[in-house]
Amino acid sequence: MAALAVAGPLDAAEKVPVLPPEFNWRDYTVMLLHVAAEIEHSLMVQYLFAAYSMGGPQVPEARRDDVRRWQEIILGIAKEEMGHLVTVQNLLTALGAPINLDREDYPWGSDFYPFPFTLRPFSAKSLAAYVVAESPETWSGPKADEVKRVAFESTGQYVNRVGALYSRVDAILKDKDFLPDALFHADTLPYQASWDEWGRGYTRGQRGQDSGNVPTVKSPELLVFGVFSRDSARKALHEIGEQGEAPDADLEDETSHFNRFLGIYEELTAWPLGDQGLVSRNVAENPVTEHRLNESEVAALGAAEVTTNPITDPVTALWGHLFNLRYRMLLTDISHAFRLASPVDNGGVLTGRGALVHRAFAEMYNLRALAGRLVDLPLQQDVPGGLRAGPPFEMPYSLELPHRDHDRWLLQRDLVQASRLLVGQLLSTDPSCAGDPYLIALRESDQRALDQIEHVLSREGCTR
Amino acid sequence: MTAIRELRVLPPLAVGRLGAAAEPMDNYTVEVDPDHPLAPRQLRPAPTFRVDPGSGAITRADTPEELRFTDGQGKVRPVAPFLEVWALTDDDVLQPLTLELLRLNSLTPDDVRWRVRVGNHKVQRRTYDDNDRIDADTGWFSDHDAHELAGRCANFLEDRFLPLGHARYVKPTPEFPGIRLRFTPAGGHVYGSAYTDHPTDPDPNVVDFLYDATKGTWRGHADQAGDPRLTIPAQIYAGDDGPDDTWVSRGYLDDECDGLVHVKVEVSGRELTAFGRIGAGPPAYAPDSIPIRTVADELDQALLGPGVAADDTLEQARDVAEEVLRRATETVRLMNTEVMNGNTVDGRVDAASTMVRQDTADTGRLFEPIMAPSLVDAAAVLALHQNVLAALRSGTAPWFADVLRDHDEVGDLTAKGRRKMPALMRGADGRSLALTRRQVDLVRLAARQAIFRQDTDEPEVPR
Repeated sequence: MAALAVAGPLDAAEKVPVLPPEFNWRDYTVMLLHVAAEIEHSLMVQYLFAAYSMGGPQVPEARRDDVRRWQEIILGIAKEEMGHLVTVQNLLTALGAPINLDREDYPWGSDFYPFPFTLRPFSAKSLAAYVVAESPETWSGPKADEVKRVAFESTGQYVNRVGALYSRVDAILKDKDFLPDALFHADTLPYQASWDEWGRGYTRGQRGQDSGNVPTVKSPELLVFGVFSRDSARKALHEIGEQGEAPDADLEDETSHFNRFLGIYEELTAWPLGDQGLVSRNVAENPVTEHRLNESEVAALGAAEVTTNPITDPVTALWGHLFNLRYRMLLTDISHAFRLASPVDNGGVLTGRGALVHRAFAEMYNLRALAGRLVDLPLQQDVPGGLRAGPPFEMPYSLELPHRDHDRWLLQRDLVQASRLLVGQLLSTDPSCAGDPYLIALRESDQRALDQIEHVLSREGCTR
Repeated sequence: MTAIRELRVLPPLAVGRLGAAAEPMDNYTVEVDPDHPLAPRQLRPAPTFRVDPGSGAITRADTPEELRFTDGQGKVRPVAPFLEVWALTDDDVLQPLTLELLRLNSLTPDDVRWRVRVGNHKVQRRTYDDNDRIDADTGWFSDHDAHELAGRCANFLEDRFLPLGHARYVKPTPEFPGIRLRFTPAGGHVYGSAYTDHPTDPDPNVVDFLYDATKGTWRGHADQAGDPRLTIPAQIYAGDDGPDDTWVSRGYLDDECDGLVHVKVEVSGRELTAFGRIGAGPPAYAPDSIPIRTVADELDQALLGPGVAADDTLEQARDVAEEVLRRATETVRLMNTEVMNGNTVDGRVDAASTMVRQDTADTGRLFEPIMAPSLVDAAAVLALHQNVLAALRSGTAPWFADVLRDHDEVGDLTAKGRRKMPALMRGADGRSLALTRRQVDLVRLAARQAIFRQDTDEPEVPR
């Protein structure tokens, strides 16, 4: 990542990007987009962790409507980050580059990373870091100073703006001398993610049209852009940037992540301190499963120390492993879907792509269900009133997919079989899980998934 | 204190199902298998009254070992509901009216009098000709014979009637002393119409000619475009293309009906009356599935209002959310999702009557699939619904609350509006189906509240 640092300062004065050594412009653009993908992925996970931590029986009755509303807003932002992540994959695909769903667990960085990756429960401090990360370049004044100070204390470093990275990518994209037209491959569109496939019921470009789970919170605006030219690439980046920090809009623009986070921050910090501490469950920061125990528990990045919390309660650890596995299944499904073209003839021939998109959404439901369980389970055994675990979101050892599609389905089968083993272990070894309705249902749905995968592997093609 | 003060007929609404077999359908319950919560519901045989065809008395109440929906010769067994008479006595107790209670009021079973009136007004609803009304009336009776429900109509051929089933006052016995009536619906046949002066060739689709097409207009009828009284969609009768884009009726009639069951008893010089409602619908060919919006949901909303009521609990709301999802899963299981979505199937663009065709016809909008065509592989859609159902069983808030279609969004033709849930299905007004407002509100209640729950026993310490 040192290459980034020599490429020039990240400020508004940067009119002409500088090419770092060991790159040409196309490769440099791809590298920057890889960084962008990792940032979007990381932000999404951290926002999800914060949102899942919210709630619990300790939230005062009078505060619950606010807490539920904020949770819905943050979940909405996380969903929009998912749209950003997918759109960046489209950009990579259009440039003929491999997609990137990777993400480092702890700590990692460059000048572009806003702050060290930390899974932490929702609080004014964690929120301050998100506000600054999504802030526009022009944000200043006493409120900005205050929030930046809290973010600094919270993360141990100056929090970078996400928008700076996109500014640099755009500076490259807009110049034909750097990237000639021929490098944008329109024929990759059938392989790219589309809003039709990934948008579900969420609004396209019209956030605020109708009510969602919480009546006063509008449903998210999921931006998924296909990229087929220089203009469409720049448009996609511009829209993503605008949704994050609304660089061209004033601070009253409610649609940007920055404004939504800042709004919650102002509401929360207006509460009495005692109530502020009750907003989320007593969840550990950076929970990790046992197979991480032989690694260093403390890792340093600059001034920040990131402390992990091993899940030592044996039953909770099994749930944590199940969460990690389903997270891996989600990433595998997305990645696998990008390898298969969508039908171009109005669906006359179905590929496995639709099934994979559905499986990805199913895993999002599973992750939410498992996270809901983990924020309620003890981190350590026999510690009354101790920390709760929370979802560990650990990355798999590899996200590489096999070269042949048949072998990708073998990988799919491996993952489902691994899930069956974990679910079976939970059901059989722990009395508290023996009749768990979710585990029983998950076991059944895994069996059905195996049947489908066997159908594909038997060369009968997509299930019909 | 056993003087009878008032009468009731319970249940107040009973829906039978058509079937031509002699023996009505056995009783059963529909349950979710706890070990296979994503599988179709299980049908379990339940105690069933056997009525002796000769005497009209119940001879036994046994539980069949297995359920059969036909008689083994291709005839469907009708669902023939019992309607019981209950009495409100002067001690304010609502209890079944029995031989003993009758005796205590110096009455016998012969003092109970019944009358059943049913109708089938489907043809009159289209032609607006009152002579097309088909009505049946048993008149008052207190014997235990089967009373035929003979549907009479001014426009029928001479001496012909439409059989709408029969009603029977079940003979009470010491073993089964309750006062009850059984409604047995008709066979589920379709009848035709004919000109009297030149009989049409027998139509293999109809069992009999009933309707005199020289008297009435049903044969050859066509809904007139622009008539504000039309159903939406219109033209929902068997027919053929006619001139000027009309849809010309073949003149078919079916033997469904609905109506009233009246009962009266004179107690101490005072005539007490009550009534219940009956109807006959088509056989259930997927009895282990429940549609996502049923008459029961409508009644629930009519009774309790369109929103969450004060005494609705979070647990109830969660149960409704899970039930909605389960029924959606069951519906998907029965659907050809590729066709319903408007995909090109085997080269055919407009393969069936779908919401896509409806949108095209009503608005002139270009034929366009609802979901992305790649997403509607039936097995994949079913798997997604099952996964969401599985996740709900974890106690997670129902995440899908924000993609439910609201009652005032059924005409939203944007891509987003057409993709809301429930998708691909038509409501009674010809537009996209929505759940009842109460169903939606309960799902949203569950979505709002679940995060404050605590599942573990150990109390969480506030920070």
